Amino acid sequence: MQIDPSIKSRPKYQVPVLVGSARLQLFICEPAARDQLMSLHQQCEPEQTYWLEVGDPVACDSAAESCTFEGLAACLQRRLAGAPVATRLYVAGSEAFLWDVRNQALAAGLVDEQIQLAPPVSRARRLFCTHCYTRMEGVETSPHRCSGCGRLLLVRDHFARLHGAYVGVQINAEDPNEQPEQEVLQ
Amino acid sequence: MSIDSIAVRVAAIEPVAPLIREFRLEAVEGGLPPFSPGSHIQVAMPGEVREIRNAYSLCSDPADTTGYTIAVRLQENSRGGSQFMHTRVRVGDRLSITPPANFFAPVWQARKHLLVAGGVGITPFISYLHELERQNAEFELHHLYRGTQTGAYCARLQQLGTKYFGYDSDNEVFCDLNQLLSNREPGTHVYICGPEPLIEGVCATARELGWPDSLIHYEAFAAPEPGEPFKAQLARSGKAVEVGSDESLLEALEREGVTVPNLCRGGVCGQCATQVVDGAVEHRDDFLSADEKASGTCIMPCVSRAAGNHLTLDL
Repeated sequence: MQIDPSIKSRPKYQVPVLVGSARLQLFICEPAARDQLMSLHQQCEPEQTYWLEVGDPVACDSAAESCTFEGLAACLQRRLAGAPVATRLYVAGSEAFLWDVRNQALAAGLVDEQIQLAPPVSRARRLFCTHCYTRMEGVETSPHRCSGCGRLLLVRDHFARLHGAYVGVQINAEDPNEQPEQEVLQ
Repeated sequence: MSIDSIAVRVAAIEPVAPLIREFRLEAVEGGLPPFSPGSHIQVAMPGEVREIRNAYSLCSDPADTTGYTIAVRLQENSRGGSQFMHTRVRVGDRLSITPPANFFAPVWQARKHLLVAGGVGITPFISYLHELERQNAEFELHHLYRGTQTGAYCARLQQLGTKYFGYDSDNEVFCDLNQLLSNREPGTHVYICGPEPLIEGVCATARELGWPDSLIHYEAFAAPEPGEPFKAQLARSGKAVEVGSDESLLEALEREGVTVPNLCRGGVCGQCATQVVDGAVEHRDDFLSADEKASGTCIMPCVSRAAGNHLTLDL
């Protein structure tokens, strides 16, 4: 038996594939990840597909609110409220964005089987400080200084789906003067 | 693994449909463990030839630990269990049961629960109803039955009002599965308990309509079907066990004092999985994947049998 060295909670992503039996194909992306979903969207019957993009006023019901994640989330909730049970959701963007959308979808009654998350567009991580619960975006190196409590955090591979974030724990708790070398996260 | 047994006394017996009797069981000593909706117990019956063990869904209120209720349908081709319960068991008799186990619990994240019962398959949903109503959950109960045989609990179910949909096929009232499963919103989960064709029908219709598998839940307890007799050779203990045509491999092993962990005795839970060393298997369970079945290295002795006249097991 081979022991998998990776941490179990770290998500593995796959390129989304179209589920033909769906009655509503819902695509949600950040602009940088548009290309990951566009070709799938174009394969769908126009009346069965819907495209939501952060910052794209045309793609949303309301131009003003679509520019933020909150606006997009509200729009998603409206879409899902009247959606068929045979709805499939395809999400592309940064890792934190993927999980924020996924959690929004779960709140609307979807299950993970209905949601496909494309490989994140960057290695940047959302970091959750286990000491002061601060969330930091776009973390690319470890250790990382917590913007909330100032502790130097080891960025672990342990992933919390609820927060869409990796867990950070103080790296030099024994000796706060110790400054371990910084490395780029993979 | 050993399963504790609980001694119970039959406190009441009530006919609830022409072919279904309800039994209330109370602990001989103390109370009974609480259970979750959809749980079942095994009842051990001292049959004439051998001990009979059948799994029955609990259909009482999960919050009531003073007693359990089970409903037993008299099977035309009874292997002894349902016949024993219907003809031999009297109020005051003692029986032995296992603590409740559950492979059919409601998914509490669901926004709406769609319950589909066929005949005596209504039983696990009776325990659901108590809890769903307590939690004020949104649900519909669709009950398919034959009024001359299995229409149990109809009076009580009528009280559910608009949440209850009864289909008495003896009265030419049938359920349109396509209509039942169409136009449902995300977060709707469907649960099916009943005969195999109903389960297959609902699953097939739901998949055609694009329902994700994880929204479809069913319990396919099936008593082991008879088959050709065969011999089971036990590689580790050196024993040889003859399996009769009307007993399961698991029952034959138990008769010979070989213990195999088991819970559902109906090919669902996977507890009794046993390694096969040699011989072809006729798989009849609902637990192993198609690949696992094809590999022929594993058998569920509660329902499956040898495809030929012998099997060698790693026991």
